[in-house]
Amino acid sequence: MQKLLVVVLFVALTASVHAENWPGWRGPDRNGVTSDTGVPTTWSATENVLWKMPLPGIGTSNPVVWGDKVFVTASEGRDQGELHVICFDRDTGRERWHQRLWGTAPTLFYGRSGMASPSPVTDGKRLFAFFGTGDVFCFDLDGGLLWQRAIADEYGPFENRFAAASSPLLFEDKLIVQCDHYGASYVIALDQQTGANRWKSDRPEVWLSWSSPQLVPSGDRIELVLSGSEKLDGYDPRTGSRLWTLRGLARECVPTPVLGLGMLFVVSGPNGTHIAIKPGGSGDITDSHVVWKNDRGTSFVPSAILVGERYYLADDKGIGSCLDARTGKLLWKKRFGDKFTASPVAADGKLFFTNEAGSTLVLDVTQAGYEEVARNDIGEEVHASPAISQGKFFLRTAKNLVCVGIK
Amino acid sequence: MKCFVACLMLVGLAALDPPYDPAPHLALIAKTGPQGEGAAAAKLARDELAKHGIEVLPQLLVAMDTSNAVAANWYRTVYEEIVARELARDGTTWPVEFFKEYISDAKRVGRPRRLVLGLLDQLEPMFREKWLPTRLDDAEFRYEAVGLAVTAGDRALKDKDQAAAKAEFRKAFEAARDSTQVTQAAAKLKSLGESADAVQHLGLVTEWWLVGPFDAPQKTGFAKVFEPEGKVELQAKYRGQDGAEIAWKRHHETDTLGQLDLNKQLGTTREAVGYAYSEIDVPREQAAQVRCGADDNCSVWLNGQKVFGRDQWLNGTRFDRFITPIQLKAGRNTLLVKACQGPQHKDPEVPNNWSLQLRLCDEQGRGIEFKTSL
Repeated sequence: MQKLLVVVLFVALTASVHAENWPGWRGPDRNGVTSDTGVPTTWSATENVLWKMPLPGIGTSNPVVWGDKVFVTASEGRDQGELHVICFDRDTGRERWHQRLWGTAPTLFYGRSGMASPSPVTDGKRLFAFFGTGDVFCFDLDGGLLWQRAIADEYGPFENRFAAASSPLLFEDKLIVQCDHYGASYVIALDQQTGANRWKSDRPEVWLSWSSPQLVPSGDRIELVLSGSEKLDGYDPRTGSRLWTLRGLARECVPTPVLGLGMLFVVSGPNGTHIAIKPGGSGDITDSHVVWKNDRGTSFVPSAILVGERYYLADDKGIGSCLDARTGKLLWKKRFGDKFTASPVAADGKLFFTNEAGSTLVLDVTQAGYEEVARNDIGEEVHASPAISQGKFFLRTAKNLVCVGIK
Repeated sequence: MKCFVACLMLVGLAALDPPYDPAPHLALIAKTGPQGEGAAAAKLARDELAKHGIEVLPQLLVAMDTSNAVAANWYRTVYEEIVARELARDGTTWPVEFFKEYISDAKRVGRPRRLVLGLLDQLEPMFREKWLPTRLDDAEFRYEAVGLAVTAGDRALKDKDQAAAKAEFRKAFEAARDSTQVTQAAAKLKSLGESADAVQHLGLVTEWWLVGPFDAPQKTGFAKVFEPEGKVELQAKYRGQDGAEIAWKRHHETDTLGQLDLNKQLGTTREAVGYAYSEIDVPREQAAQVRCGADDNCSVWLNGQKVFGRDQWLNGTRFDRFITPIQLKAGRNTLLVKACQGPQHKDPEVPNNWSLQLRLCDEQGRGIEFKTSL
């Protein structure tokens, strides 16, 4: 049975069973890549814009798309304690429902993201939204609240100067949330049906991170990987027990690890390191599981992306790099221009890097070298990672949700 | 005829139906708690409540005056649904007077009051403008009210009415609890030749005796006990870092918000511990809060008892970062603060700050009145 689950998960992670949807942080496989086709490669503030809807407040969570629904979270108010979960119609942009809620314990925050950095996640039946206020909400897809947890009330308010940003993930019947902060850090698995704890694993040695958890198939088991506080930890996602630790990450980790080619790729910076590791092992795997390291061009906020055998990244200052994913050797390096907060996405042989000024650089990744296809300016600042679904490109700008498609 | 009788009976039965009592459903929602407990029952209760109209709003709003964060959000979903439905149709008779009374009751939880103010904006667009300036002593709306007073002062200045400007800025200063608003109002008063002591208003402790650096390799400083933690003797000499003799020195902090730069006062160093000592006099025994922050970390002793300590490194001194309730005794109280300095970050560009800040105030953040008896 366990092997079957591993196979199912592996298929999900590699073959994108729900490729037409974008169900959570960084898409179907939490790595920015989708098997979608027919995605537009050119647009502007007016060209190929199918619809554009204003968003309340602020937020950097990525849009989540399931079927004909697009979900976005936001926060507003002086302390950003007013929370929004909004559902738009994918084809028209019409607001289908909008839930307004109170956040339990707002923290200090980054001016672009407020309490809405974590992306929501859906399994097609329920939508789960986690906020920097230390609240988890579960809705049906018609907007009905099913349960909520004020974990900041139960386990103490988060202490975070930029607000929590970790996007939760779904595993079997659990919702897993990484809660690293200056107070008592922990990772928690909640029952998707009821919200009750399935397990909670304290991380007393951890102080702060904004990274999101990742699931990694490894042999006959699945590992839950968390980066933060100068290390990467592997856990058993069924029990919350720690399996291994890899030292050598930055003090404050933001990017989410990506996997492929039987390896896990981790980056933390600035002035940090890219590390490719073999999953598995137990205890301290720092000296036993590293395949390669490269300390050039690491990012603080944007995550990396793996397409085929190439590993791409744009750092915060706008320098793009392409590494050979098997060896870590630098293949090319380019100044993309402007700063990056958003993480790249890829579909249909194209790679999309959206910078803070709202310009999306499109690269053709079917070619061996650097092959620029287009630079598309949406005319507004962008700090959230885009989503791709059913031939449409969803950009959350500072003020709007924009749906781009071929008209 | 039979039909007529049946209709009459139905009308009669309907007339006999007691009005809907939301209390049981509200009570079910109130039982929601940790671990998602009570969510299924709350959802059913929520759905029932939402079927009704504005007649349930007064009881709903009373229920929303709760510290149960989970229940409050369940109630809010009902409120939002009913209000949206009623706003969309004509002829609703809103309980406007109840709403005004509700939002004016500063003892109630702030968030639902703010929600209702948002509704009043739609029902009586001019209400906010008149009402908000009166909320200077209301924790939920004080920030906006102070902001309006400052704006009124600026307007008066523009109209060359200095007396009115002074009155508005004074009003703002006295009511302000937010440090930025306090310093802003104080600066405006001072520019008009008025006195305004932001340090005293916020209860910032600025009179200190300082000693350090004590040697604390790596991050051992938080746990390591040095002599001042046993007994503070201001004439004592200690063995400090690199074997140097160190002694207490008097310091008056002039920073606007009372932040001490220990690198400047005790010498730029790493892997060390410094202490700050003060004595304050209060006229009566009272409950208060000590609000503090330090880089790298902070421990506080009040009258020889440790009241706060957090083992955290490289995280900055931020205003009101840590808040701890304390009990001050009448007369003299002693304060000892320990601030550690950790190793240099591996990134040489990260500054190695060593600083602390501490104030004594009430729950709303108004500084308590004290005299420094050093």
